[in-house]
Amino acid sequence: MKKRILSAVLGIAMVATLLVGCGSGSSDDSSKKDTKTEDTAKDDSGEKTAADYKIAVVPKMTNLAWFERMEQGVDDYNEANGTSVEYCGSPEGDGQAAFVEGLISQGYDAICVVPFDVEALDPVLAKAKEAGIVVICHEASTVENMDYDVEAFDTLEYGAHLMEKINELSDGKGRVIQTVGALTSQSHVEEAQGGKEWAEKNAPDLKVDDQPIVSDDNQDTAYSKVKEALTADTKHEIVGIQCAAMSETPGAAQAVEELGLQGKVHIAGTSLMSVCGEYVEDGTVELMSFWDPALAGQAMIELAVATLNGTVGEDTLSLPVEGYENLTLEGKVYTGSAWIDVDKDNCNDEAYDF
Amino acid sequence: MKQSKWKEILTSNQMFIVYIIVVLCIAISMKTPAFAEVSTIITLARALLVTLCFAICEMVVIISGGIDVSFPAIACASLYIPICVFKENDIDNVVLAFVFAAAIGLVIGIINAVLISLLQIPPLIATLGVSSITQGMLLTFFGTRQISRLPSTIAALNKVYLFTYQSKAGNNYSMTALILVPIILYIVIYIVLKYTMLGRGIYAIGGDANAARIAGFNVVRLQFIVYMFSGVMAGIAGMIYCVLNKAANPLNLMGSEMMIIAAVVVGGTRMSGGHGTVLGTILGVVLIGLIQNNLIMLGVPTYWQTFVVGAVIVVGTAITSLKELAVQKNQKV
Repeated sequence: MKKRILSAVLGIAMVATLLVGCGSGSSDDSSKKDTKTEDTAKDDSGEKTAADYKIAVVPKMTNLAWFERMEQGVDDYNEANGTSVEYCGSPEGDGQAAFVEGLISQGYDAICVVPFDVEALDPVLAKAKEAGIVVICHEASTVENMDYDVEAFDTLEYGAHLMEKINELSDGKGRVIQTVGALTSQSHVEEAQGGKEWAEKNAPDLKVDDQPIVSDDNQDTAYSKVKEALTADTKHEIVGIQCAAMSETPGAAQAVEELGLQGKVHIAGTSLMSVCGEYVEDGTVELMSFWDPALAGQAMIELAVATLNGTVGEDTLSLPVEGYENLTLEGKVYTGSAWIDVDKDNCNDEAYDF
Repeated sequence: MKQSKWKEILTSNQMFIVYIIVVLCIAISMKTPAFAEVSTIITLARALLVTLCFAICEMVVIISGGIDVSFPAIACASLYIPICVFKENDIDNVVLAFVFAAAIGLVIGIINAVLISLLQIPPLIATLGVSSITQGMLLTFFGTRQISRLPSTIAALNKVYLFTYQSKAGNNYSMTALILVPIILYIVIYIVLKYTMLGRGIYAIGGDANAARIAGFNVVRLQFIVYMFSGVMAGIAGMIYCVLNKAANPLNLMGSEMMIIAAVVVGGTRMSGGHGTVLGTILGVVLIGLIQNNLIMLGVPTYWQTFVVGAVIVVGTAITSLKELAVQKNQKV
């Protein structure tokens, strides 16, 4: 008996949480609608803008710093364009498919989504497409039921970009080690591969190790393994480290700094100012790159508008978002070159402070 | 008489671990001469510092007949919450940070003890649940974002060194002063386990809780002490981890529990409780640490590294088990 009461109470509590969640969401969007300014169609060409459509941007989950930054991007977009694009999602990745399903009946023209679990989401997106909703994805080139996917950059090219910097800093001579979060992490492995291929083609005296170091996406592990590799390298052949995962760049930097190898071993890698800022400021990390989720969010919105206006489908496309001006189309995937480079000189820019 | 004692020592479980360690060291030095330098000890000490702290807690818990898989979550909470609070309120005090961390560990340790000792929930399930709750609360209320700019005096602790060694290749290796924490801890635990009634009681309840109770040990009290100690040390170890990495990350330590349990078991502690030594645990941690941290030097390809670590665990534990079986057979005869 007690158990039954308990389970009933728990059940009610769960339903209540759900309702509260939805309630606050909808009150939110009504308040946003109040502030919506109707006469904001800026362009005189008569082409419709985001203000004329009802668009939602759905992140993988709402409680990650990365997606908080995307929300910022959507807010900025709304402010700059007087639109009321909605940023909404579930706090847990697992709830995303159900959340998107809930959006279908709400009269959206377009849904921009960063899929958490492609297999769970794809059938829901099929329903959205049936309902005539434009579906734009990001970080998910394998989704079937979408109009387009927009990627910040081509991973191979991005890897080559990092290696190019190491080549420049080391005068093209020496050995380079690469780190990846896991050998199963496709983007990391491609990044390393891109770097290695670039070096083979363009820098004959730059020898990149055949196998990358695996860090488990853990700063401490990256630190230990890079330190180990540098210790074993008694002849000081290593001149560069290319890091794929966000946590590896500060890990590698800590190893280089402690061993007193700054200036001799050059680090170029992916990270964020909030994670690696200190080492960028003191110059241990000489190139830190990333893509800005805020801009990715804006690119999704712009791509949704372009799709609704019927101005897409060409091999190339230009969106009015930094880094997404020259998109190339392959299949359904538009790819930009929206990486952002940060070093000692520009790291104090507030725009990168996230 | 004397000869047989020597034989006993040379064929003991712990000596087998020592043999494996020696063989490994020779193999690594042959492959990479840079290994045979003082720098290796410094690097290893730094890499194993936090593991050593966790392992001794786990050992004490296992000896007492329990198991604790919540210490990574406790450590994450104990390093992240103080740093969040400090950043929010502009507090910058090293001592307070460690006291705060220990206090969080103590509270969670008490929860573990209540569940295991008073409610009689199996330790694995209890600590697994507490681990999940702790991690969930941490991520919900304090966020997932790594904090890389620590308050300055806490960050400065990262650069307090006992000495610095310059290797033949010209690299600098500095021994962090925080290594004193596990050293002191191990000495204290060694004395407590060997020479005090408290220590004997922990072995006793692990061997047979009922017999221990009849013999006059307060089982509940001892279990509370064990889990509270484990919580406090996990908290302090978490803060040390944070200082060593110069970053407060609420997730990084998660998942480290199994490797640490493996190190403890390789060191000769029996999962069934009642057996285990401080020296064995040190050897177990060193063996697994040596493997984990020197595969690159050993030239093991990336794809094989996980395999090699697993193989060493299996071989290490198998030796202990085989010896155990041999002893049992002898008893029957």
